[in-house]
Amino acid sequence: MSEDELHTPEKSDQYSDADRIREVKLSFGSLWDQYGTSAVTVLNLTVFFIFWEIFARSGVVNQVFFPTASGMLQTLFEGLTSRAPPDAIISGQIIDHLLYTLRTLTIGVLLACAIGIPGGLLMGGNRYIERILSPYVWGLASLPRIALVPLFILFMGFTVKMQVTIVTLAALFPIMINAWAGVKTTEKSLIAAAKVFGANRRQIYSNVVLPYTLPFIIAGVQQGIGRGMVGVIIAEIFGGSNGLGFLIVRSADTFNSELMYAVLLLLVIISLSFIKITRMIEVYIAPWRQQVIM
Amino acid sequence: MRLAVSDAADQITGGRAVPEEKKPVIVAKNLTVGYKLHRERKLLTALRDITITINKGEFVCLLGPSGCGKSTFINAISGIVLPWEGSMEVDGKPVTGPGPDRAMVFQDYALMPWRTVESNIRMPFEFQNLGLSKAEIDERIAHYLDLVDLTGFEKSYPYELSGGMRQRVGIARALVTEPKILLADEPFAAIDAMTRESMQSELEQFVSKTKQTVVFITHSIDEAIILGDRIAVISRRPGRIKEVIDIDLPRLRFDSDVKSLPEYSEMRERIWDLVKDEARSGAHGEE
Repeated sequence: MSEDELHTPEKSDQYSDADRIREVKLSFGSLWDQYGTSAVTVLNLTVFFIFWEIFARSGVVNQVFFPTASGMLQTLFEGLTSRAPPDAIISGQIIDHLLYTLRTLTIGVLLACAIGIPGGLLMGGNRYIERILSPYVWGLASLPRIALVPLFILFMGFTVKMQVTIVTLAALFPIMINAWAGVKTTEKSLIAAAKVFGANRRQIYSNVVLPYTLPFIIAGVQQGIGRGMVGVIIAEIFGGSNGLGFLIVRSADTFNSELMYAVLLLLVIISLSFIKITRMIEVYIAPWRQQVIM
Repeated sequence: MRLAVSDAADQITGGRAVPEEKKPVIVAKNLTVGYKLHRERKLLTALRDITITINKGEFVCLLGPSGCGKSTFINAISGIVLPWEGSMEVDGKPVTGPGPDRAMVFQDYALMPWRTVESNIRMPFEFQNLGLSKAEIDERIAHYLDLVDLTGFEKSYPYELSGGMRQRVGIARALVTEPKILLADEPFAAIDAMTRESMQSELEQFVSKTKQTVVFITHSIDEAIILGDRIAVISRRPGRIKEVIDIDLPRLRFDSDVKSLPEYSEMRERIWDLVKDEARSGAHGEE
């Protein structure tokens, strides 16, 4: 009864909305809460590049091995915004090689998803398939993928097909194993609840196991992209005349350290972007998962 | 939980203890059941030789130490596990699997974390066809959401709710199909003490009104005495029924402050004597 009285209109007049929701005044504190971490990161990186610049200009290390930050950034900027002149030592600009690498990576990772996700789900869902496949999966997963590169070059030569195969193989196992683990670790009480409320096998799979496994699959794809990235660079370093991996080798061969460092920085940026994007997808698709982990 | 309990509920006091006609709903005869241990090649007997009859409208509490097979017993009623030996009948028919006449409330809520409150409560209708129209289902859901006082939280996800609120969702999900038998597996064990007491009281009021048949697992003696018409004390694994005790304290027990009655403490003492040996031998057991 007393609770009802609290909600009568006469009483609530005393507390207007203005009292309950307060406008936060624009202050240093509030600005800091919103943009503080980004500001620190920008400042941090600026200081880092300034120290780099000073160190490089001081001449402690030969600039052939360690270029100035400004030179590297300029090379990166030009390489991403312009086309190479026809008489350049290295054919193609950074942007061309970047697109080539991204294409190989995308095709490879998509293939890995197409094989790995259904494969992992089947292994999790069927005991016999699991028994049969698991030695091969674990065996190949534990084998360093670089060791297979010469074999694939032997089979397919220095082709895009070879590079895509390496990316696929590198990305496949994290995706497959995560999907498999997701199915296996589905909470028993959720399955029991679905059963009690009348779900059949198919409904349990589509209504409990799959949604539960989805965040695992996303985490697997995230790892897969990282591994695929390693795979594509290795494939291009070993054999190829295109791509960022090739560009690294080529810039080293021509003592073009600015270009090499620019490519390395670009690789860092690409990797971090992929991680960020997959995190965002994860939060969007499975917001509940964040809470479970926390 | 603002339960729509009419004033009539107050007059029921004590009326439920002896139902006029005893119609058996759940009949277990020499029931032996267990499960397979995955790692070792062993079958573990959880319950041995259980014989009990639970009548319509009765609130039976199963009390026993952890790991004594209480959960297995209600799983056997629900049809998730099937008898090894003996029989389990609900409404005169042997249990062959889950059915809409039985619903369960779980200790860890077992809500689908990717479904909203509303969608979780709708789940039983998606899996089983109860012959209700879309409008009737919506009405049911709204009614039970209101009953557990979660109106306004339809679009919330379980992770956004407190433990008590999550279990209200679990209770609404179990009640929404209006099952004949409500099974509850330590539903309030993971909920804080204050919320637990109010939820116990609300459950008592609800059941007094609807005359629902309830099988309720607990390891709290007080909870068993407050809620149960009968308490079955189960011994440790493999579980057997040690004793069945009638609780003829007046209803509604929360409102009538039954804990201050001398009968209450006598009852408590008696049950504790039964349980304590089990708890003790359980502690020294091979678990």
